[in-house]
Amino acid sequence: MSASPAPLRRLLGLLRAQQAWLWAGLALALLAALGAAGLMATSGGFIAAMALAGASGAAINYFTPAALIRGFAILRSGGRYAERLATHEATLRALADLRVWLFTRLIPLAPARLAALRSAELFARLRADIDALEHVYLAVLVPTGVAAVITLLTFAVTLATLPWAALPLLALAVLAGVALPAWTRRRGAADAVATVNEAAQQRDLLMDALRGHADLLALGADGALRRRIDALTRQLDARRARLDRLQGLGQAAAGMAAQGAVLALLLLGLPALAAHALAPPLLVMLVLLTLALFEVLTPLPEALAQWQGTLTAAGRVFALADMPPAIVEPAHSAPMTLPPAIRFEGVRLRYADAASWALDGIDLELAPGARLAVVGPSGAGKSSLIGALLKFHPVQQGRIAFGGQPLDALRGEDVRARIAVVAQRTHLFNRSLLDNLLLARPDADTAAIERAVHRARLDAFVAQLPQGYDTVLGEGGARVSGGEARRIVIARALLKDAPVLLLDEPTEGLDAITARDLCTALAEAARGRSLLLITHRLAGLEHLVDEVAVLEAGCVARRVPASAYRATLAQGDPAR
Amino acid sequence: MTQTHEAGAWLRREGAALRRPLRRAAALSVLQALALVAQAWLLAWILNAALFAHATLPACVPALLALLLLAPLRLAAQLSARRVAHAAALGWSAAIRTRLLERTRALGPLGLRAAASGELITRLVDGVDALLPYAARYLPQTLTAALVPLLLVAAVFPADWISGLILLFTAPLIPLFMSLVGSAAERASRQRYAELSRLGAAFIDALSGLTTLRELGAAEGVAAQLADDGEGYRRATMQVLRVAFLSALVLEFFATVSIAVVAVLIGFRLLWHELTFRDGLFVLLLAPEFYAPLRALGALRHARMDALAAAAPMAALEQAPLHSPPLAGGTAPVPDAAPQVSLVGLRYAPVGRGPVLDGLDLELPAGRVTVLVGATGAGKSSLLNLLLGFAAPQHGHVRIDGAELTTLDPDAWRARIAWVPQQAHVFAGTLADNLRLARPQAERADLDAVAIEVGLAAALTRLPRGWDTVLGEHGEGLSGGELQRLALARVLLRRDARVLLLDEPTAHLDADSARRIVEVLRAAARGRTVLWIAHRLDAALVADRVAVLHGGRIVECAPPADLLRAGGAFAALHAAEYAS
Repeated sequence: MSASPAPLRRLLGLLRAQQAWLWAGLALALLAALGAAGLMATSGGFIAAMALAGASGAAINYFTPAALIRGFAILRSGGRYAERLATHEATLRALADLRVWLFTRLIPLAPARLAALRSAELFARLRADIDALEHVYLAVLVPTGVAAVITLLTFAVTLATLPWAALPLLALAVLAGVALPAWTRRRGAADAVATVNEAAQQRDLLMDALRGHADLLALGADGALRRRIDALTRQLDARRARLDRLQGLGQAAAGMAAQGAVLALLLLGLPALAAHALAPPLLVMLVLLTLALFEVLTPLPEALAQWQGTLTAAGRVFALADMPPAIVEPAHSAPMTLPPAIRFEGVRLRYADAASWALDGIDLELAPGARLAVVGPSGAGKSSLIGALLKFHPVQQGRIAFGGQPLDALRGEDVRARIAVVAQRTHLFNRSLLDNLLLARPDADTAAIERAVHRARLDAFVAQLPQGYDTVLGEGGARVSGGEARRIVIARALLKDAPVLLLDEPTEGLDAITARDLCTALAEAARGRSLLLITHRLAGLEHLVDEVAVLEAGCVARRVPASAYRATLAQGDPAR
Repeated sequence: MTQTHEAGAWLRREGAALRRPLRRAAALSVLQALALVAQAWLLAWILNAALFAHATLPACVPALLALLLLAPLRLAAQLSARRVAHAAALGWSAAIRTRLLERTRALGPLGLRAAASGELITRLVDGVDALLPYAARYLPQTLTAALVPLLLVAAVFPADWISGLILLFTAPLIPLFMSLVGSAAERASRQRYAELSRLGAAFIDALSGLTTLRELGAAEGVAAQLADDGEGYRRATMQVLRVAFLSALVLEFFATVSIAVVAVLIGFRLLWHELTFRDGLFVLLLAPEFYAPLRALGALRHARMDALAAAAPMAALEQAPLHSPPLAGGTAPVPDAAPQVSLVGLRYAPVGRGPVLDGLDLELPAGRVTVLVGATGAGKSSLLNLLLGFAAPQHGHVRIDGAELTTLDPDAWRARIAWVPQQAHVFAGTLADNLRLARPQAERADLDAVAIEVGLAAALTRLPRGWDTVLGEHGEGLSGGELQRLALARVLLRRDARVLLLDEPTAHLDADSARRIVEVLRAAARGRTVLWIAHRLDAALVADRVAVLHGGRIVECAPPADLLRAGGAFAALHAAEYAS
């Protein structure tokens, strides 16, 4: 429970930028609530006064209360309309802020810190931000603010008219608006928190059941997973039922408090009437005002039962955003010489203190315009080499120099701006082909794009697309084949026009003939640049490079000219 | 729009299952409303007695007691209405979740992939949860909103028919005006809702591709774009909402004005002795309650929107045709020994595509290794899917030791198969969990043994938590080669398998590792019937037989040495592979 205020404070801190709208929403909600309470109270007092006047035949000024009733009616309906607009404006603005804030916070975390998160998990956490926002502001903060003001108002009116009833009334209002919400919050905490976590777990399992359906059937594990899902569902549903019961109880208890308040008013008011200590219409007015007050208080115990769950969900979002980036960037990049030379000196890298070294003393050099292949078996550290060079992962020992400057003195984005990457696994966005290409250079003109597409041998593909450059590629590039996707990535790299080209397993997963076709495009892309080709299998790509560095167990075992390497290949030993 | 239409129809159909509990909840709401009427009458009576009959407190005690006793009755009715609806809704959404899984099973892996993209699957999974508020709150409220106002107006009429008429006339006007203002607004707000999901999807897309964006130096640009999108969405949405909320304003306005009119009219008729104070107050107390259920329904409208959005992919999945359903219903026992598998005249076309297999004949001799080669997209993986019974061929036969595959018990048949898929799914959980799927009773020592065999041991020492490392979605934390080794380790753990189906088992591996894996697999192949898809031909050269798939059929099938000598399609592939 001690951890609970932190996410709330964070959330409120984030909302500060929109506080004008948030306060406006609260103020309007208050006006509407005042209108509603005023309407009922005045109407009650009014009909009582009219009835008394009718009974006694006395003259009565009915213009003022009738006008008040009209005024309150307008205040209530107009206020509700304006309140809804203002609160929606406030939450939409806050939501947009939150999304962008979160995205900006996540940028430096990719890929080093986000690797272990499943996208379903990420999605669930991000959806929780919206829910948290709406719950905290609309279901708790606004009603609490409104309830506090109306309670004080009722207290003041009662104090002025029927002083003995003021304290019991306040006590019951505090019971419904403070004690009961505190009780439901505490009673609901365990279930609300567990619901958030178990719902995430259930989502993971369902995702596995659907996405991994083929594997499950083949492994005969289909039934077991279903049983796990069923068991979790039962557990979760039991929690949800318990929470709902608690909410219902809270609501009912607040309703009882309302009845108690009316009863207290009558018990104290009737003798006061008999003693002529209270004007009769005022008693009717007080009763109706009290009923209106509890209308505002009753939803609070229900809302607070979810509170701890909401904070847990928000806390998970913040935990994500608060992960320290793997790399601390300098404020400015030191000046580098271009085109850049790349030099690894005794570089060691590992992913955790207890883990073994993924790079274990790498020495490597790539002069401007040089063409080098790094070849090694899987697990030799090829991906780590790329991660270190792109400044995605920190290096624990040794140093990497880029353009004459140590990597530590350069900002990651400045390094990456000089390197075009063609990776085996790269993301194509669910947008048009043009948008996907323009990511590399937003200001590229048509001529530059067509040149890049032509050099990547992508023209034929574009020509047969139904909407040409405007064709949407589908989720994860689902509507293009593996070979086409690779060519799009090459075109993107060409468009970027960086002095260094980094090829990471560029032909993996393609059949021999498609791979051979791709090589021409790759050779074209490499022209006039330094080339670093990283692969576990050089076959078919040897002519792209001049030299081969063989990587074994995290260090460079030897460097040989490509021609010599080709000769060993010819002897039927493709690995060496 | 037709999609929302179908989603709406689906929701209505499904909602029918809730009819009975909803009726019970509605009956309880009516009971609650009756208690409310009684309480209002008692309160009016007490105040009337005090103000006009100058009754003292003791004279009012019975009425006060009744008022007090009615409170728990009313609240209990309210509480049980809520419980009945919530419990029914929980059972209902759990049943839908189960049906979703049943449907997945009926469609089979291939049918599912054709019917639901990855994004759709995400929406399906998140959607079931969105159905709960709809069933637990929105649906019961529709009944309450229909019944309770009627009951209240019936109570008002005997007390004051003029007020009764006011309520009766404004009540139907409310839905009328709401639908006039609301239908356009509802259409627009549905569009906004779709737009909001699109924005969410774009956000997730940007997040999944964050590494690529950073490589391209485009992350900050995309962040700015997200901000612009959000701002544009807010402006457009607020425009819509200004109109959409008019329907709510209409409701508020009518509710408020009728209360005011009722109050003022009552006041004057009291002044003119046309009404007793008791009846006047009674009506005034009930007037706001008359509109409350309708207002509550309006506030729950977003639950219906959420449910409609969630229903769309479910309706789509349930209506997806069972194009070539997976194996089901067979009962014949499966032979214990490695079987002979005969494929005769197979024709198979995936959903919405031309045939990828067309007149395919292939014999897999018992206990022998047959390697299948062919270009990317030639249908090699489809063939494995047919053998696994994930889909049925449109024509032709798959026979296991002469018995039709369709007659065999599918679970028993799959229990005899060990399969390396092209991309193995990584399940939520640890590395050890992911291996134990293949053999739940495997000991840590068994896992260690296969890890050494497939070369996963290096990864285990690199990962800080070893076997207990929790894997990310695409097996993040493992390299492509290590994922491949994970799939191979699963195969080795399946000791009871008599058939091996290998879909490029050495992809993502360097030549050395590939050669070691080929050795391990050849040892595992002993005494088993093996169909081995290979891009790289190292495996083909040591196979018993090589089959070349081209144009949907097997164009060559013989021992590899014979094929090389014959100089056909396989010889050409071999030449291309070793060209350099």
